[in-house]
Amino acid sequence: MKHLPMLLAAASALLAVTAAQAAPTVTRLTPPSELFTSGQPEPVIARFLPGQRFDLQATIRPDAGQRITAARFFIDGKPVGVQVALRDCAAGCIKGVTAETTIATVRAMGVDKPGRHELRLEATQADGQTATARGNFDVIPFTAAMGPKVKNVIILLGDGMGAAQRTAARIVKGGYAQGKVITPLAMDSFPATALVKTASLNSVVTDSSPGMTSYVSGNKNNNNEEGVFPDDTTDPFDNPRIEYLSEYLHRTEGKALGIVTTADVFDATPAGNAVHTSNRGAGTGIVDQFFDDRERTGLTVLLGGGRKWFLPAGTPGSERAQANDYAFSSTDAHTADIVKRWGAAPGAMDKDRDLIRDFQAAGYRYAPTRSALAAAEGADKLLGLFAFSNMNVALDKIDGRRGAKKGVTGTVVDDYGFPDQPMLDEMARAALSTLKKQPKGFVLMIEGASIDKQAHNMDTERWMLDTIEFDRAVQVAQDFARENGDTLVIVTADHECSGAALIGGSMLSDKALQEAIQKKGVSQLRDKVVGVYEKAGFPRYRLAADGYPEATDIDYRLLVGYGANADRYEDWRTNATPLRDPQQPMAKSEPLKWYPPTPSERDDAFGDYLVTGQVPGESAVHTATDIPLSAFGPGALAFTGVIDNTDVFFKLAQAAVKGTTAPADTTGAKRPARAGK
Amino acid sequence: MFAAPLAGLAPALSRLRLAMMAPLVAPLMAALLLVPATAALAASAGEATTPPVRDIKFSQFFRLPVGDQGLALSDTLLAADGQDVRLVGYMVSQEQPRPGRFWLTPRPVRMSEHADGEADDLPPATVTVLLDPAQQDRLVAHRDGLLVLTGRLRVGRAEDDTGRVSWVRLELAPEALASQPGAPAAAPHHSH
Repeated sequence: MKHLPMLLAAASALLAVTAAQAAPTVTRLTPPSELFTSGQPEPVIARFLPGQRFDLQATIRPDAGQRITAARFFIDGKPVGVQVALRDCAAGCIKGVTAETTIATVRAMGVDKPGRHELRLEATQADGQTATARGNFDVIPFTAAMGPKVKNVIILLGDGMGAAQRTAARIVKGGYAQGKVITPLAMDSFPATALVKTASLNSVVTDSSPGMTSYVSGNKNNNNEEGVFPDDTTDPFDNPRIEYLSEYLHRTEGKALGIVTTADVFDATPAGNAVHTSNRGAGTGIVDQFFDDRERTGLTVLLGGGRKWFLPAGTPGSERAQANDYAFSSTDAHTADIVKRWGAAPGAMDKDRDLIRDFQAAGYRYAPTRSALAAAEGADKLLGLFAFSNMNVALDKIDGRRGAKKGVTGTVVDDYGFPDQPMLDEMARAALSTLKKQPKGFVLMIEGASIDKQAHNMDTERWMLDTIEFDRAVQVAQDFARENGDTLVIVTADHECSGAALIGGSMLSDKALQEAIQKKGVSQLRDKVVGVYEKAGFPRYRLAADGYPEATDIDYRLLVGYGANADRYEDWRTNATPLRDPQQPMAKSEPLKWYPPTPSERDDAFGDYLVTGQVPGESAVHTATDIPLSAFGPGALAFTGVIDNTDVFFKLAQAAVKGTTAPADTTGAKRPARAGK
Repeated sequence: MFAAPLAGLAPALSRLRLAMMAPLVAPLMAALLLVPATAALAASAGEATTPPVRDIKFSQFFRLPVGDQGLALSDTLLAADGQDVRLVGYMVSQEQPRPGRFWLTPRPVRMSEHADGEADDLPPATVTVLLDPAQQDRLVAHRDGLLVLTGRLRVGRAEDDTGRVSWVRLELAPEALASQPGAPAAAPHHSH
């Protein structure tokens, strides 16, 4: 102990020397790797196709009072022969990054040689000290094909559609008899199925942005980010990019791109096929990039909601704002190189832009309604904007067509002001009628968006019907693929939502259920209702001629529980409106109850059967549970096993660029049979 | 004494509720009786020079159905700009509510902002309700069911600090909030 003072003094002196000789530090190296983060060479995080383009980037923190004067990237020891763009962080960087920190970037690199590659960075600060960092990435080779190249790729993505959502749709749409399905879902008839791991770059629980982009870039993104790796700036449009499947196949194979969704088209899933941003909410910039970079993505069809982003700022209803637009610098190489090396549009702060007019001037046929969409069949290019934000869900659209008066001024779709919205299968059919004219083929992404959104709401019947709507679009795609023989179709999800579980069937008729609701309480609404095991039986829904259940409030109905739920009151019956309406007898008035800014209490619960939630807030959440993927068409049997979401990208590209590596089905056929047509 | 306000509100409430409240006709009538009582109190609490509060409905905002481009704002809405109005609607249930404001819609909507951002189910007729400037730090507790709000209507494009744009706003008076944080809202004033 007597030596302690001496030891402390020595340690202090050593620290002082160390501080004086501290070297600059590389705090981030992109593409991301475990080699850089933990020193372990595996697992390899970033993988690319031969020649697939991506950005290199490093964040380098110099010593205090110093600055970074140079940075060089090396791949496999060879210097990258492209000028490195340097920017400091005097402004525009995230919190905690010093002003002297430098971000070094090389845009639009591509490596042709397959195999493991080492990325190395060397940075020099003004006093001559250097910093180095190492990372790695893989280039996945194309393999010898057993069948011809597929001309078209169709990705059907049921957002939030886990196994439970698929099963529920099967029970409601197809029905069971003595344990056997009477009419299977279209997606059930696909010959190959895999289980997909859905984690994102920064969480086991992904959101829809990286959930989509993993399939079409081959790489993990952070939650909320689309087609980019994370960085240290606040600019949502300057992140290191990864070339999408659409861009790669348009550049190398001349294929076109179609995007069809029931959501607002700026939403994460549709944007995650063509737009590069770290902010999935940057609506104005996202829709602008759809159009501005159409020559790079081959965008030919864009159908969905979200018209508010396309209207000039002065037009009532427009949501365009400079705050979420983008414009690249013409002088600062950090973003100027996006234009120069990627060939991307420079963008502009143009909230007054009339984007519908721009699309029309570029030859796109504009369809604002279902009727106009039908009239546009076979158009060379197609833009359809059927709502201001998300389109209404299937249950409400069908109610609108059936004239069911559940709204304020009429039906729900009347209330929203869009009574003539197409169903997803109608949109899919229209998209295919345009895209099939493309001589070199296409990539088409079709999203059933509100399976997820209604699962967040724990609105059982609405996500069930949206899954049925989605399956009808699957049928359209399958019919097209069966007819043409050169189209690979996959049906999958980006993640599961809500932890939905089919817990059984109601033991009551709907009349008795309504009586139980009046009596209230857990003994009425749980113990007397929820039939488990054999008491669940086989719920029987009857389909109307339009393909949807005649009624969802049937006797002995299917019951759904939620494992990722917020607190909710459950009465098992269909919500009359898109969200639970408690039908309270009185219209309430002011004064309103209020809280300090931090929400610490909620009092909006109503009803007597409270199902206590396991997540905070009022919405159910995404889960990390694996999701099913089914494949149909040439090469379908390549999609088996337990695979990573990024694996899907390489399988699709292989089939489109070099040819299939597996048969279409277990008969060994190279293309799907046309039997039954 | 309720004849005049009842005449103004009854059609709106009828349309709002009747289709989905067939078993609740009696309670609905109770609501119709209660709302004018509240309105009368609101009017009596105002200054003598305060212009009369006019009723406006979401369905009067713009031409329905929406056309091929933007919204065609109605003369009724434009005439109400800057006026005190009474509006009946649903408070949007937000996952990430912001202090000082909330949304009122003609039908119930829940936002899952963390997962969906602005890819939402808000109808075009959504009204941004703004608290008094002195109450911008206050978070209004969500309330299920129909809500009757009285305030000054503002029509026209307004962009907030996040870039979110609103076209119709309702500015509430300070009295619209209870006097104590977290306090239950006052019970409806029964006149019978």
